[in-house]
Amino acid sequence: MSEGAPAGPLLVVEGLNTSYGKISILRDVSFAVGAGEVVALLGLNGAGKTTTIRSVLGLTPPRSGSIRFDGLEIAGRPPYRVAQLGVGYVPEGRRMFKDLTTLENLQLAENGRRGDWTIARVLEHLPKLAELRSRKAGRLSGGEQEMLAIGRALVSNPRLLLVDEPSQGLAPLIVEDVYRILAELKAHGVAILLVEQNALLALKLADRAFVLDSGKIVYSGSASELRADRERIRALMGLTDAAVEAAAPPPAP
Amino acid sequence: MLEHGAVAPQLFNGLVLGAFYAIVAIGLSLIMNLTGTINMAHGSFMTLAGYLAYAMVSRGTSFWFALLVAPIIALIVAVVIERTLIRRLYGRDPVYSLLLTFGLSLIAEGIYHKVFTANSVPFSPPPALAGTVALGFMNFPAYRLFIVFVLVVVFVLLALFLNYTRFGLRLRAAVQDTEMITALGTNTQVLYAINFGLGILLAGIAGVLASGLLGLNPTSGNTLLMPAFVTVIICGMGSLYGSLVGGLLIGVAQSLMTLFIPPASEVVMYVLMAVVLTIRPRGLFGEEGVFG
Repeated sequence: MSEGAPAGPLLVVEGLNTSYGKISILRDVSFAVGAGEVVALLGLNGAGKTTTIRSVLGLTPPRSGSIRFDGLEIAGRPPYRVAQLGVGYVPEGRRMFKDLTTLENLQLAENGRRGDWTIARVLEHLPKLAELRSRKAGRLSGGEQEMLAIGRALVSNPRLLLVDEPSQGLAPLIVEDVYRILAELKAHGVAILLVEQNALLALKLADRAFVLDSGKIVYSGSASELRADRERIRALMGLTDAAVEAAAPPPAP
Repeated sequence: MLEHGAVAPQLFNGLVLGAFYAIVAIGLSLIMNLTGTINMAHGSFMTLAGYLAYAMVSRGTSFWFALLVAPIIALIVAVVIERTLIRRLYGRDPVYSLLLTFGLSLIAEGIYHKVFTANSVPFSPPPALAGTVALGFMNFPAYRLFIVFVLVVVFVLLALFLNYTRFGLRLRAAVQDTEMITALGTNTQVLYAINFGLGILLAGIAGVLASGLLGLNPTSGNTLLMPAFVTVIICGMGSLYGSLVGGLLIGVAQSLMTLFIPPASEVVMYVLMAVVLTIRPRGLFGEEGVFG
């Protein structure tokens, strides 16, 4: 995948500092996501990946720094405003409304942003969800929940999707499904900021990548280059050879 | 033994009382569920609606109009108080909002005392509801039947609202995960305000109706509040139907107890509460961990 550097990035994060109480999590984090671009945000547990996403959404407002979405400063804005501007969220652990049905989970995300994605279209695109439309979300399998989480984010017609650990806790075959859907969204021109433990999987989809370590960006560059450089991944993320190989996608046919 | 004839009317009286408890308990648990606020001022809002209706009716307004408008004014007052005071304590330990609303109820009581004196004011149902209705096996006061009718309508409308409207859907979701609902583009502050207002609207309707039945004085709302709290505890929070069943259960238990052991009628609900909590600490219909 080539480095698709578009004119005027959709999301520009500059000098972001975020802390929980007195504990500083992000230190001077800067990166950008272009329109229609997929950017992988990698790093070990506790590196600050989820905090980065939460800062962008306004769930954990940054202490300082600038977050511009489509040219508009959004740092410190309430999350519902950020969502209404076109930032979709597929959270870690999926966070279904377990007592509500699949359809109701989708309806919740209708926030007045009009566009291509309607509930009908999402169900058409994710036929498995259409079958399960009246089932309680708490009774869906992990993979079905992940799809519902993605579908739910789509209903709001986002221009940028923040996707946090979509492969977590899912069987390899299901992970493939989820990534196929993400690839389709990319083909539809939805920009994605993808947080993932499974570096090689994310790098396959991403155009560019950033690696966080203890709240600082220690690598930023092309995803394909990083992917080709196992040595580098290992050094950046402290993975053992076995872990890198285990995370590798199945060999291409 | 008691004759059969005395039991049926008491049973019905118990159901009327229980319908009040249920509606008040539903309001309490709506507020408690979403924001963790234990609203000690709930009874004061009931009394407020009662006094508002009394003030209107004594100036010549019709009872029907007062029944409609007084709860709405109480709702508006409630939303103003929620936005200016109570909202600041969301996310803190529930003790803070409990103390605040307890303080508010004392202030309200003082105001009612000053304006309307400590004595009960005469607030009677309109002439159209003054008589009794023959139910075949007994005669029943028309006003009590009317109360049951109104409260049933309110309950059905509430159930429809929560289950079939966009707003109701968001409320049900926000109870489960407030942060996620805001990340999906819903302004939770609006939800909190409307939810609080909704709880008080229910209290207001009950307050006006109860004033015509149980009397109206600065603390009259609080007489319904304790049984409503007990209802919430017995049933577990967050269940509409649970609150209904629990409220009716307590009302009937109290009413029947006045026939058999009159002094025990005040105590019976606490006995019920103790028994339920011993056997099932989360309440009859409650889910584990609803309260966080």
